[in-house]
Amino acid sequence: MKGRTRYIVGYALAFIFTICVLAPILWMVLSSIQTERDLLTIPPQWIPSRPTLDNYNYVFRGIIPSSYEERGAVRSLVSQEVKQIPPCLKNSTIVALSVLVLNLILGSLAAYSFSRLRFRGRQASYYFILGSRLLPPVAIAIPIYIVVQKMELLNKYPSLILVHTAFTLPFTIWFLSLYMRNIPSQLEEAALVAGCSRLQALIYITVPLAAPGLAAAATFAFMFSYNEFLFALLLTQTIAVRTMPVVVALISVNPDVAYSLLSVGVVVSILPPVILALIFRRYITSGLVSSLSVTK
Amino acid sequence: MVNRSRRERGVSLFRRRSSTSIYGYGTIAPAVIVIALFTIYPFFYAISASMRHLVLTMPYDQRFVGLGNFIEVVKSYYFFTSLKNTLVYMLSTLILVVICGMTIALYLNSGLPGFNLVMIIILIPWAIPTVVAGITWKLIFHGSYGALNGALYSLGIIEEYIAWLSNKYLAKAAVIIAHVWKETPLVAILFLAGLKTIPGELHEAAMIDGSSAFKSFFRITVPFLKPIILIVIVYESMVGLATFDLLYVMTGGGPGDATSLIGWFAYTETFSFLNIGHGAAVSLILALILLAFIMLYLRLIRIEEMY
Repeated sequence: MKGRTRYIVGYALAFIFTICVLAPILWMVLSSIQTERDLLTIPPQWIPSRPTLDNYNYVFRGIIPSSYEERGAVRSLVSQEVKQIPPCLKNSTIVALSVLVLNLILGSLAAYSFSRLRFRGRQASYYFILGSRLLPPVAIAIPIYIVVQKMELLNKYPSLILVHTAFTLPFTIWFLSLYMRNIPSQLEEAALVAGCSRLQALIYITVPLAAPGLAAAATFAFMFSYNEFLFALLLTQTIAVRTMPVVVALISVNPDVAYSLLSVGVVVSILPPVILALIFRRYITSGLVSSLSVTK
Repeated sequence: MVNRSRRERGVSLFRRRSSTSIYGYGTIAPAVIVIALFTIYPFFYAISASMRHLVLTMPYDQRFVGLGNFIEVVKSYYFFTSLKNTLVYMLSTLILVVICGMTIALYLNSGLPGFNLVMIIILIPWAIPTVVAGITWKLIFHGSYGALNGALYSLGIIEEYIAWLSNKYLAKAAVIIAHVWKETPLVAILFLAGLKTIPGELHEAAMIDGSSAFKSFFRITVPFLKPIILIVIVYESMVGLATFDLLYVMTGGGPGDATSLIGWFAYTETFSFLNIGHGAAVSLILALILLAFIMLYLRLIRIEEMY
């Protein structure tokens, strides 16, 4: 393509993709800074005439928006459940960060052994780990509930952390063993000859070399845990441990929900994972590239 | 003296090997234990539950019914509806996600102007929780306030607001759109990673030989991407077949049974009707369907080296 066409085609495509991705989110942001009444006008106000942070103030500080005091408004219901959003944001973050840390520790320990060592049962356990993901979550939801109940972990952080770790580890291990296989082993061997133990070689040599891969794996684990819905719904019944997707989903299925407040929930719940993804974006692609280049 | 040192060396070699094994087992054990805890017992429980009359409202009647649950489930009206819905849903999301993902990946890999910006924002839908994406789309398709109605009304295309999610075809389309929006970015990133592993000389050589861009896509790019295409379609089939959270927030399986997919069927049998036997039977059928698809894919896409 010539310079000018190249320029036009490139930006036209970029524009289309950007609109497709951002338009829905923009709509949520617009909804969250309007009063419920302005939101329900026909046609909607594409540029809010009276933008307000009242909805955010209600969610985070419990100040009831003045618009709800008006009589005769189209809908004057305040969805009180939205006040659960800040504590649940904390719960989600705690659970997802713990899953991330466990994945890094257990994942890199196991992946190193899978990629470097030969021992009986290595292949079998690798296939078991990968195969475990083929079971549809809904098929094992009830028995997992029973297991968690027997461990007396219902409504506690560790239950979700363990279940999410079990679901994310297969990907982490697969991904990291591919990644580590591509790291030259000479340095480690030198360290082993110099008297390092396997564990020391892993910690001081391989882990620093695999840092981009670890960052990518960590991001994937965090995203999965933060996004997970079915088990979060089943295993946590109290506000003290409920995670973000569950609370937002439960608010949204209430037919009387205030859409402006629900939009605040959507916007707030989107922020942590999106920020994390943007921080680690370099590692996500480069990590995948280094892992997948094994094929050649 | 010589003898002793040789023996010592033998011992240390032996120690070395067995210590390697011990280290190996020790390091994979924690991961295997955590995974086994939430798969092995649950798996056997699901099989046993599927063959018992297990209804939570009748706790004392847990008789063995053999394949009874499977027969009842398959004979029920909902089974074939949900099976048909699921296959349509899975195949259409799969095709759309692969096409959109590949288009974006090719664009990102082409170095055309603007790709840096797209590279950043493409990650956003991937990072958003599925239920939250579902809620966003539900509010776009909303009958009395949605953005879609608003936009069409502002442009004068419609006279009055349409309840998109109350029409059985439109509701299906809406869920598919939400699914494709959420899933495309991951697929695009995976394809992009794959494209980056293709040596540039291959395309250059093809171009010098006078092969068109279209031809070199199918002759060079696609064969190179085979393993990743396989990973993508296996993963996306899993996601599509087991879709549940989008339905939970967007349609609740409705209107009527228009969007009750098999995962939703399994969920309602288990958690709404508390019939765990039926739920387990449906879930195992779901697992078998998934397995059948994976075998089919492995036949269609032959790969010399798998990861």
